[in-house]
Amino acid sequence: MINAKIKKIFQNARKEALKQKVQANISYHNEKSHLMRIGNNSVSLNTSENLTRLDINVTIGKKHGSHTQMGEISSSKYVIEALKIAIDKAKNSLDLDFTPLKEVIEDNFAQDEQYDKKLENLDPAFKMESYKKIIETVGQQYNYSGSWSSGSTEHFFMTTENENSAYHIVTDQLFNIVLKHPDKKWELSSTQTGWKKSDFKAAKTIKEFQKLLPVYEGHKGFKVKPGKYTVVLGSAAIAEVMEMALWTGFYGRTYEEKRAWTSKNKAGDKILGKNITLTDDPANPDTFGFSFDMSGKKRMKFALCKDGILKGIMYDTQTAAMYKKKPTGHDIGGSSIVVGAGEGDKSLLKAVKELGTVLYIPALHYINLPNASKGIFTGSSRFNAVLIKNGKVVSPIFSSRITDNFQSVFGNVKLISSESVSFNGSNTYDRRNPVAMSVPTYMVCEKVKITDCADSF
Amino acid sequence: MNEKIRKTILDNISKSVGKKAEYVDARLVTEDYSEFVELYDGNLEENDTTFENGIGVRTLYNGAWGFAATSDLSKINECFELSLQNAKTASELVSVAITMGKKQKGLKASYESPAKKDPFNVSLKEKIEFLKGIDDNLKEDWIFKRYISATFQKKNQFFFNSEGSEIERKLTDVFATMAVMGLDNEGRMQRRTHELFTKGNGTRGWEMLVDPKLFSSHAGRVKDELAELLKAESLKYGKRSVILLPGQGWLQVHETIGHPLELDRILGYELSYAGGSFVTLDSFGKLKYGSDKLSVSAYGGFPNSPGSFGYDDDGSPERDYLMIDKGLLVNCLTSRAMINEANERAGRKIFKESGGASRSTAFYRAPIDRMTNVNILPGNDGKLKDIIASTENGIVVDNPTSWSIGSNREHFHFGCEIAWEVKNGKKTRVLKNPTYQGHTIEFYNSLTAVGDKSTWLVGQVDSCGKGEPNQAMELGHGVPVLKFENVITGEK
Repeated sequence: MINAKIKKIFQNARKEALKQKVQANISYHNEKSHLMRIGNNSVSLNTSENLTRLDINVTIGKKHGSHTQMGEISSSKYVIEALKIAIDKAKNSLDLDFTPLKEVIEDNFAQDEQYDKKLENLDPAFKMESYKKIIETVGQQYNYSGSWSSGSTEHFFMTTENENSAYHIVTDQLFNIVLKHPDKKWELSSTQTGWKKSDFKAAKTIKEFQKLLPVYEGHKGFKVKPGKYTVVLGSAAIAEVMEMALWTGFYGRTYEEKRAWTSKNKAGDKILGKNITLTDDPANPDTFGFSFDMSGKKRMKFALCKDGILKGIMYDTQTAAMYKKKPTGHDIGGSSIVVGAGEGDKSLLKAVKELGTVLYIPALHYINLPNASKGIFTGSSRFNAVLIKNGKVVSPIFSSRITDNFQSVFGNVKLISSESVSFNGSNTYDRRNPVAMSVPTYMVCEKVKITDCADSF
Repeated sequence: MNEKIRKTILDNISKSVGKKAEYVDARLVTEDYSEFVELYDGNLEENDTTFENGIGVRTLYNGAWGFAATSDLSKINECFELSLQNAKTASELVSVAITMGKKQKGLKASYESPAKKDPFNVSLKEKIEFLKGIDDNLKEDWIFKRYISATFQKKNQFFFNSEGSEIERKLTDVFATMAVMGLDNEGRMQRRTHELFTKGNGTRGWEMLVDPKLFSSHAGRVKDELAELLKAESLKYGKRSVILLPGQGWLQVHETIGHPLELDRILGYELSYAGGSFVTLDSFGKLKYGSDKLSVSAYGGFPNSPGSFGYDDDGSPERDYLMIDKGLLVNCLTSRAMINEANERAGRKIFKESGGASRSTAFYRAPIDRMTNVNILPGNDGKLKDIIASTENGIVVDNPTSWSIGSNREHFHFGCEIAWEVKNGKKTRVLKNPTYQGHTIEFYNSLTAVGDKSTWLVGQVDSCGKGEPNQAMELGHGVPVLKFENVITGEK
């Protein structure tokens, strides 16, 4: 639960906002973050941050303003002064040409089921020892780099519309390590994620590397000629491409403004292959679930695409107000996207045995959108990418570029793994905000365009 | 600054050194303001301010870095202790010990961005009125969406280190963008953008934004160009000459010269996230990065840019030097710790002194090697019209829509807002959805024309992402008009 002092301070600030006759959303965000970086087999950075932010959004009729400040929330005066800055901004702004929706917190939310005190207080020495164990066991002849972010995020807010409050605390970790051959230059990667300390196991990464190394050590790199290939996307690649497809296809703002690749479609239209199902499910344990959004709306399971058919578009409160739609609980940094699993064998090699030559691309680097409204994306292979023939790994492949469109790549899916994993898509650009997607371990996509290949990994 | 806080910091630095820290520095940010104002279709959708302050402490112990930061200034002592403890833990896993090199003489210095009018002394009302005035000029029945925004930043930072340096910096930045969007003949969205730029000189306060030459006067041009785009055909696949205007050239330089020439990237410290570099320590003095027409500098000695900041976050002064000299790679973007490691690994003194490129975006982020201003020097191939006149079959492109680069920066793919076809020395028509791709070294070696000083502009970058935890940094790129040959353009 939120600290009683903070709650009292917020109640006082809320009273002040009501006295000033403004609508306000007053929000507290605290992160206890730790990150260890590895470079050249050494800890290159070991950093701890304890940061508190106060966010205030004020609406007066059709005017609005917002103010954020970092620092300890120690008194009602501190919050009320920030509130006055936001009020002043709102008063001096322009009328919007739509009426903003009121932010009603629909229940007294208090969510802590993905919180682990052990992870919040994880001793950095545990990370250092784990990296050391992996490096010493797999072999110090390789070059290792990586990062391991862990911490807690605590969020609490109130609005002037009612006396309810919303509280959420979550812990998360994202571990990765990259092994690079000092002469041959190929790179292998291993990632682990979760909300508990026990979600990490050094042995898991060691096993992964020990399985892959003979394949890489024994084969030279393969340069892929541009053309159409059967490509097996790994879980990271599926999540990375799907994230772009969602951003440019399933958000109300881009959809309504004709910038989305789905803008010419309506609910009920076929947009992807019949084996593609996408859902936003805050209850899915592979994701970091929020039971409410930042406007106070209860978040429910929400169908986006079922069996390739467009089912729903996500509307935040502002877009809903602008386009006279109902908000769908998507005033949130990251949804709980679930990409439906299929019926493919858990073993990727067994699954592709009858498919001849395939390219396995587990992750894509630097995906971007040369033409978002046509669904065209581009990105290049990275980490553990290999050429497979008749179910046997033949060779690692050089950095290869895919330039294709979502409709085709996810419209020609031959097979989807029956097993799903959590893909942690959090970044540390701004405040801590854990986001994860549930994705199948692989997806076999036919006729994928490879448009370029480098002479190196 | 508050003398009590200063004394607490200096005492803690001494205490850490007494506990065998090899080097300690602290960045106290007393104020870090930013303001973002955005009109979208005339609606003031963003009207935000942010204020941050706090302290970040970096400690080097037994060859390893520890860092800690807090926004609670009553906990400065604890922050120093945690930073030292983090360094001690890190030092248990060290194969390459970090050093800051020869101890340097402490600097007592200050730097202030040149600015006549502090943008935070301009009222919100005046800011909105200014943007609204331009927005009104962008408005047309046939324009589907309009966008105009401005970002103002002001930071006051005090740097202290265990060598006795005390440096105060007051940094001001102003960024602005306008864009118009419309539906083309296929019902797809097209866009034309103009971003506030500088010529490297002058001042960078509110006065820069209201200088019509740099911003507002471009409203008519972007509308006219959008009108042509909406009826244009798509660029067809093929090899041809590509002429980059500075609005596109800055990003080309940023992604395929700036990033691969960050020394921490070359040494492998960014492998697990941003990626590595095709450049190796052996490349310096040997690698022909580009044709003889390519000369690239760091910093550039010009005052008006987000990449001009006086002193870096190691306390080193910014330096102006060549990284590529007539096509030959000779230097890169460096910080104190990285040059020592690189010289040791290479077994020769490649780098004589820090390039002043150690930067952190906020008090709660540790410094890493960053771009300052990475610039292509102007050439002697005349103006844009001269370069077009010497082109048989090509395109002129401007402003990025998409950028995707290989993890070692060895290859790239860019999408642009607009292309003008060039046939037999003349611009013929506008083409939409232009893209081009290439391999970095081959591409820069095909550089055949570099525009003169009159074509050179400084592109302002408000958000270059790198590092873990991620840092979005401000920097600049001075770039003239550039022509490359035999480039793959369009999509099959």
